[in-house]
Amino acid sequence: MKTNFHKLLKYIPLGLLSVMLLSCERKFDDLTPATAPVNPDVFIDGFSAGLNYASFGGAVPTAFDVDSEVTYDNSSASMRFEVPDAGDPRGAYAGGAYFTESPRDLSGYDALTFWAKATKAANIDVVGFGNDMGASAYQVTINGLAVNTNWKKYIIPIPDASKLKAERGMFFYSEGPEDEKGYTFWIDELKFEKLGTLAHAEFTILNGENKSETAFVGVAKPIDGLTAIFNLPTGINQAVNLTPAYFNFKTSNEAIAKVDESGVVTVVSGPGVAQITAQVGNVAAKGQLSVQSAGEFAQAPIPQNDPTKVISIFSDAYTNVPVNYYNGYWAPYQTTLSADFEVNGDHILQYTNFNFVGIEFSAPTVNATAMTGLHLDVFVPNAMAGNAEFKIELVNQGADGSGAYTTSIPASQAQQWISLDIPFASFAGLAGRDKLMQIIFSNGDGNMPVFYADNIFFYGDSTPPPPGDEPTTAAPAPTANAADVIAIYSDAYSVLAGTDLNPNWGQATVVSEVQIQGNNTLKYAGLNYQGIALAGSENFSTMTTLHLDFWTANSSALNVYLISTGPVETAYALTVPTSGWASVDIPLSSFSPVDLTDVIQLKFDGGGDIYLDNIYFSKAGTPNPTEPSAPAPTPTANSADVIAVYSDAYSVLPGTDLNPNWGQATVVTEVQIQGNNTLKLAGLNYQGIALNGGQDFTSMTSVHLDFWTANSTALNVFLISTGPVETPYTLTVPTSGWSSIDIPLTAFSPVDLADVIQFKFDGDGDIYLDNIYFSKESGPAPTEPQTAAPTPTVNAADVIAIYSDAYTVVAGTDLNPNWGQTTVTTQTQIEGNNTYKMTGLNYQGIQFGSSQNVSGMTYLHIDFWTANSTTFQIFLISTGPVETPYDLTVPTSGWGSVDIPLSAFSPVNLSDAIQFKFVGDGTVYVDNLYFGK
Amino acid sequence: MKMKKYNIIKSLGFFAALLLMVNFFGCKTDDVQKLDERNWKLVWSDDFDGQAGTLPDVNKWDYDLGTGDGGWGNQELQSYTKNTQNVSLDGEGNLVITAVRSGNTFSSARIKTQGLFAQKYGRFEARLISPYGPGIWPAFWMLGENIETAGWPQCGEIDIMEMRGQEPNVVHGTIHGPGYSGGNPITKSYTLLGDRFDKEYHIYAIEWDENKIDFFVDDYLYQRIERGDVPGEWVYNQPFFILLNVAVGGNYVGFPVPETPFPQKMIVDYVKVYREQ
Repeated sequence: MKTNFHKLLKYIPLGLLSVMLLSCERKFDDLTPATAPVNPDVFIDGFSAGLNYASFGGAVPTAFDVDSEVTYDNSSASMRFEVPDAGDPRGAYAGGAYFTESPRDLSGYDALTFWAKATKAANIDVVGFGNDMGASAYQVTINGLAVNTNWKKYIIPIPDASKLKAERGMFFYSEGPEDEKGYTFWIDELKFEKLGTLAHAEFTILNGENKSETAFVGVAKPIDGLTAIFNLPTGINQAVNLTPAYFNFKTSNEAIAKVDESGVVTVVSGPGVAQITAQVGNVAAKGQLSVQSAGEFAQAPIPQNDPTKVISIFSDAYTNVPVNYYNGYWAPYQTTLSADFEVNGDHILQYTNFNFVGIEFSAPTVNATAMTGLHLDVFVPNAMAGNAEFKIELVNQGADGSGAYTTSIPASQAQQWISLDIPFASFAGLAGRDKLMQIIFSNGDGNMPVFYADNIFFYGDSTPPPPGDEPTTAAPAPTANAADVIAIYSDAYSVLAGTDLNPNWGQATVVSEVQIQGNNTLKYAGLNYQGIALAGSENFSTMTTLHLDFWTANSSALNVYLISTGPVETAYALTVPTSGWASVDIPLSSFSPVDLTDVIQLKFDGGGDIYLDNIYFSKAGTPNPTEPSAPAPTPTANSADVIAVYSDAYSVLPGTDLNPNWGQATVVTEVQIQGNNTLKLAGLNYQGIALNGGQDFTSMTSVHLDFWTANSTALNVFLISTGPVETPYTLTVPTSGWSSIDIPLTAFSPVDLADVIQFKFDGDGDIYLDNIYFSKESGPAPTEPQTAAPTPTVNAADVIAIYSDAYTVVAGTDLNPNWGQTTVTTQTQIEGNNTYKMTGLNYQGIQFGSSQNVSGMTYLHIDFWTANSTTFQIFLISTGPVETPYDLTVPTSGWGSVDIPLSAFSPVNLSDAIQFKFVGDGTVYVDNLYFGK
Repeated sequence: MKMKKYNIIKSLGFFAALLLMVNFFGCKTDDVQKLDERNWKLVWSDDFDGQAGTLPDVNKWDYDLGTGDGGWGNQELQSYTKNTQNVSLDGEGNLVITAVRSGNTFSSARIKTQGLFAQKYGRFEARLISPYGPGIWPAFWMLGENIETAGWPQCGEIDIMEMRGQEPNVVHGTIHGPGYSGGNPITKSYTLLGDRFDKEYHIYAIEWDENKIDFFVDDYLYQRIERGDVPGEWVYNQPFFILLNVAVGGNYVGFPVPETPFPQKMIVDYVKVYREQ
């Protein structure tokens, strides 16, 4: 729709008002009663029955009139439209709608057609139908219809006439001056027709593209890019605009994302994938949306800064200053696109294809002289191939130029919010901040192709200190076995007695102990250097590592030293600032030549404010607990949607080598956890799983893993295709209990999913693995057969059929005799095939039309299908009654077909079979009940 | 259809004459649906079975390539190739001839049985979906085998199916011979009402004996041309070979317009030739 028309819609209520006042609504009800449900005529030589006209608001109310002078084919009247000159005080354009009081059935037509000419060559802005001055659900328009001074026939195709069973919008138009000049055009013989000569309809959603979008529960977004093209009887293509109501939208996974009639997609759960597609009539629209639900959206931490000491660029927590744009699309080198979204009222910036992107706030510029730093929350939604160098540049208008700060976004911190509080002093080169005008993000290594940003603001000193000045969470609880630890500082272990946490070595550092979430934490404020003196000489030679948890928002350098008598000291550099708590296990060999049998002190130097916790020496020991106490959860994926590599729950790919010799140190064993086979990787350095040749997983969407580890600090899983092309995916370790993950296969790009040959794990510790399988999204388990029962192929001469579309059945058979059962029976069509359905089965009889002698037959055939029955029996009954049950295996996967030997029903009299009886539960579909030989 | 060696003068008079001709022969149609019983025996056919993306059977089809002489005598715009983007099997039992636009140039294909198969008399039929759009000119047609020695139009031409893409519901059946060729052939059209030929398959055929040629669409006889109907020599008593092509532009059809959709495909299910037993 053109802008012009948006304007009209906005003013329609006013337009209706003007209709009433100016009486430009015409009714010709007196011509014929307005009760013609199927009437193709709109305006032939006058208004058709029940047709009304209303001028749009802002249009010249008298623009339309009936003309008896200029008509097509010398008919008695035509429709004349006088388009005003620009500046006409009566109105800016000509426009209005022709609609009926009572709806018409237009489903038998395929186009609205008319003849038109004009006083000069012109392009009419909008002509169409489906505007009923109300919801106008089925509106179709052509924009810029070219007319000239000759009468010519025009065609507006109906995208799907079956939708127009009750349509009131017969025609509408809107046209403004051309080059500021008005003119006149005529329309005649306006009617709906069944042409039959329209062909090759093509429809698109998303302009025909296949798009993939990551989204969260609660995100709702309309599908756009709805287009239609028809080939006219003249062989040329005509594009039309159409409303979403013509499209029948479909989701592949209702449980993940729904799509409503207007094409609005709403993510309802996750993680998972749903494909959104559409068709118009029976034509599939090109284009589809792959909704990658990442599950519940984790909001960025809500900033706690005093609003009076904040200048906000982008945050729902503060009032933002005027911002020119959040993405400047700077040509020619920027590749970054924006896909901002909103979850439950929280607006998030999303940058995709990220190389660099600028946010500009130059009108006016921001004076941040009273501020001290920049706050920013960043979230990388996908697994990262490696740490990303994230550069933030602040641009101050004028000669002061810009300053840049670079930080490393660790791969291990993907998929979580990282809060950055960066003092202006950290922006190297930034001389002034009185006229800040841009923030530029960039990344050169490609390791964060997509990220979200929130709470971008400049902060001043404030009380209480902004988050970022001190940890909001306690350091992670250590997992090492106490028996393997000699602790210096920790709440988790008993510590060496007599340690002096603040020996006076002349340092400027202010040492204090603070509680973070109830956890004692050592704080060094304004560090220059700081010692920790042990009570005496300690022997750590049986230990292998020094563990430290540290946290700093503002340190730019931090070293830890081990000191033995002499003093002999060696520094080890820690990576700062941290984003959240950082944990390291420093091999004691790093401190060589310090004498590990005679350690007397630890020392830190560097700058900034540092929080420390869990300072202890440890050795690789027996983790606690050492192995899972329960088996991995039983997978729930439908086996039809699974290709399994390792699982007791599914049949697995044959020929898989669970322990190929790649030179690894890892010890692989298969252990049983409560009878469940589980793969154990002990002392992992790396470990492969070799598939039996290249496997094609392109039909799958994710790979599932259950993993358990008490002592691993790093674990990656790789998928490998021939080349080798391999991509790691980082698993969060250690686990508390079993962790289950479904990794989208897209996370392993560029691995060739058509040719996957191996898995690899690397990392450390002891890992238990189970249920390694590929799966694809499947809808909820079907509750009714998707396909008809298999068509029987037995020769009809060899069959006595009771129920089947394939054979003549015994006449007079009662499919639902009243035997007091509560079962509800219906006959339903599956793919056009009649199928016998029993719902809420307790028992159910079928009474043959006459006694059947089936003694010449050898078996009874039955096709049956059930998703939820747990017990199902069929009885054959002869007069007496003499009856014998036969157990059928339920539930079925697809149709179950059995030929039951009639001997199984002994002692039933086969020369006098009169009834079947079914006993069981659930809903069961049955077909092709016949005796055969 | 195509072998005009002279320029047609686009004059009103010419078109008037053409219309006259059409009308004259058009009046013999509707009373001839009582056809003689024939006993046709299939003697040559191509079902176009084969792997997708391959050229049709080399033992059955040869190619005309390039732009011919003066756009194949008709100021046609396309250059014919034997590239599989212009001519190939689709793997589903069809031959697809595709007219491709590349900027202001067009490529397409024209295949023929010349030197491989020709027959005098019989039933010649093809089942195909036509392409469409202004300036698109598909054809299923035949030329006399002696064209190399006798020349055109002395060799004779039988156009079993021709279509102008701007009229996708009208098919034309035509013969060209000495004294009635180029802009002055014997021709008649058949119009589908409320439908088009490019939506699904239709069967186009002629039945030809020593005295007449009958033109059929979907086994409906819409034109019979008898020996006595032609103003010149009846040259249809020697073997003819078969051609299939999609031309773009040219005198017969006019030029493609910006709204003409490309690429355009003629999808041929089969070509069959029968002889009367």
